[in-house]
Amino acid sequence: MAILECRDLTKHFGALSALDRVNLAVEPGRIVGLLGPNGSGKTTLIKLANGLLTPSTGEILIDGEAPGKNSRAKVSYLPDRTCIPTWMTAAQLMDFYSDFYGDFRRTAAEEMLSHLNIQGRQPIKEMSKGTREKVQLIMVMSRAAKLYLLDEPIGGVDPATRDYILTTIITNYNPEAAVLISTHLIADVEKVLDDVIFINQGQLVLQSSVDQIREEKGMSVDALFREVFKC
Amino acid sequence: MNWQFNSDAPIYAQLIGQITQRIVSGAFPAGERLPSVRDLAAEAGVNPNTMQRALTELERDGLVYSQRTAGRFVTEDKGLIDEAKHSLAGDQVRVFLTAMTRLGYQKDDILALIRQETHVEGE
Amino acid sequence: MLRKLLKHEFRATGRIMGPLYLVVLAISLLGNGSVRILQSSNSRTLQILGGIVLFLYGLGVAAVFVMTLVVMVRRFRTNLLGDEGYVMFTLPATVHQHVWSKILVSTVWTIASVAVVCLSMLAITFNVKYVNALFRQMRDLLSQITAYYAINGAAFLAESLLLVFVSCAAGCLMFYAAMAVGHSFAGHKTLLSVVFFFAFFIALQFLGLTSAFSFDGFSFGGAPAVHAFLWLCIGEAAAVAAVFYVVTTQMLKKHLNLE
Repeated sequence: MAILECRDLTKHFGALSALDRVNLAVEPGRIVGLLGPNGSGKTTLIKLANGLLTPSTGEILIDGEAPGKNSRAKVSYLPDRTCIPTWMTAAQLMDFYSDFYGDFRRTAAEEMLSHLNIQGRQPIKEMSKGTREKVQLIMVMSRAAKLYLLDEPIGGVDPATRDYILTTIITNYNPEAAVLISTHLIADVEKVLDDVIFINQGQLVLQSSVDQIREEKGMSVDALFREVFKC
Repeated sequence: MNWQFNSDAPIYAQLIGQITQRIVSGAFPAGERLPSVRDLAAEAGVNPNTMQRALTELERDGLVYSQRTAGRFVTEDKGLIDEAKHSLAGDQVRVFLTAMTRLGYQKDDILALIRQETHVEGE
Repeated sequence: MLRKLLKHEFRATGRIMGPLYLVVLAISLLGNGSVRILQSSNSRTLQILGGIVLFLYGLGVAAVFVMTLVVMVRRFRTNLLGDEGYVMFTLPATVHQHVWSKILVSTVWTIASVAVVCLSMLAITFNVKYVNALFRQMRDLLSQITAYYAINGAAFLAESLLLVFVSCAAGCLMFYAAMAVGHSFAGHKTLLSVVFFFAFFIALQFLGLTSAFSFDGFSFGGAPAVHAFLWLCIGEAAAVAAVFYVVTTQMLKKHLNLE
């Protein structure tokens, strides 16, 4: 069964149509790129998958059911900004995640934190912006979820952090889970992706595997993207 | 040795070339156990499925073999490795000759140039 | 899940309320000393110091009540309507559980604040003879009430506590509903929250007046009247709370606008 499925998914905000009859399916074991320019509907789609928004018409299904309390236990979400409570220490944050999520792998999180020299008793508000982002990423990737939704994980970070994020995604790969990465920085992510979904102005433009694009069109996904979304 | 990728060919195909190079150069010595798919993928910065696909192809060609519990190993067949080395070398020569021809060099000039360059290094 | 939310809520808010309570209680103990000094000493400096301590105590009591309100409002806003909302609303919990955890914790702190202030007042006036007299007076008062009104003192107490709880919940929910509605708009979220709060407040005043008019005094008196009155108040508070609860949860479910 597809981990994430959209059937004629539509979302209006007043007169604006953020998503228009989107149909797609993401299978487990795949790392999928959700690629599109700013304002194309990527974040709206992710928020719908999380249950933060409700569809206007159509359906969105996580592991076969509509977003709700059960689906949220299976989804690990990385927002495009740092949202973890700043009054906690790193250790308290791990307590929080262990409490609420049965699939949180605490030892993996502790290992990743110590690898970055982050102490458990360090308060998050004393960490630099970059460190906070990494802490949030570690919490999200330490969950053994069925679907990872990463909203612009590498936008606005330095190249070394970018490598760290992509390496973390690769090393936490689980053949029973799917990872959906929304981004507009394609060249950096392309090697990590199995499949790509092009989205523009709320509509699905293309869904294909990276290998297929390179074999059939003889160009990288980045090059194809530039062509498709030429201004 | 860095993992280099260009943007035209499928990544799994490029991975096959990159891993073969490492086997031929001895970076992955004959008979040695290879890192896990996930570790190799992380090192190369690629999707684990893609790395898996490349390794499966290499297994088919015999350069690599897998033992169910023990993992994946480089072949001990030195002959096969030499063949691969020869094949890669052949590719390099063809690329070189194409470039030289584009510059306008003829066969004799190319050989003279090679002799000159290798003679200088030998000294 | 609700238990886990409550635990987390208490942790997050307790780190402010706890120290505040301790400070006020500490000042009240100092205040006890000050009262004695003021009563017995002739030293001008000591009298001034004593006065200062008592002034600080007054500030402390005010601070307790103000902070209880501030913590309640700010907690809801930052945790559910701010960036933290991205973490909270993607937890495997329902909106109802989130709102209930906030209500229950706010109510507990409100009652705790009252209790702490009473305790601190007791601490300030602590004088063995006086306290014994006070307790004796309270016991007499209670038995008088029971005798005069022929009502069960315990039931009366339980109903009062229920009224306190429901009124607290209604109060909290009025703030929460105003914030939930205000934040569903794209801009001017704080301003709109304040506007809606006053709109709710005015609406309640209006309704309160009308219900007072229709409630034409007690044609029956005595014990049943007191019980009936209490239950009427509880009912009113519960109705108000229910309306604001529905507004709050519906806004958070359907019109959550985290940005």
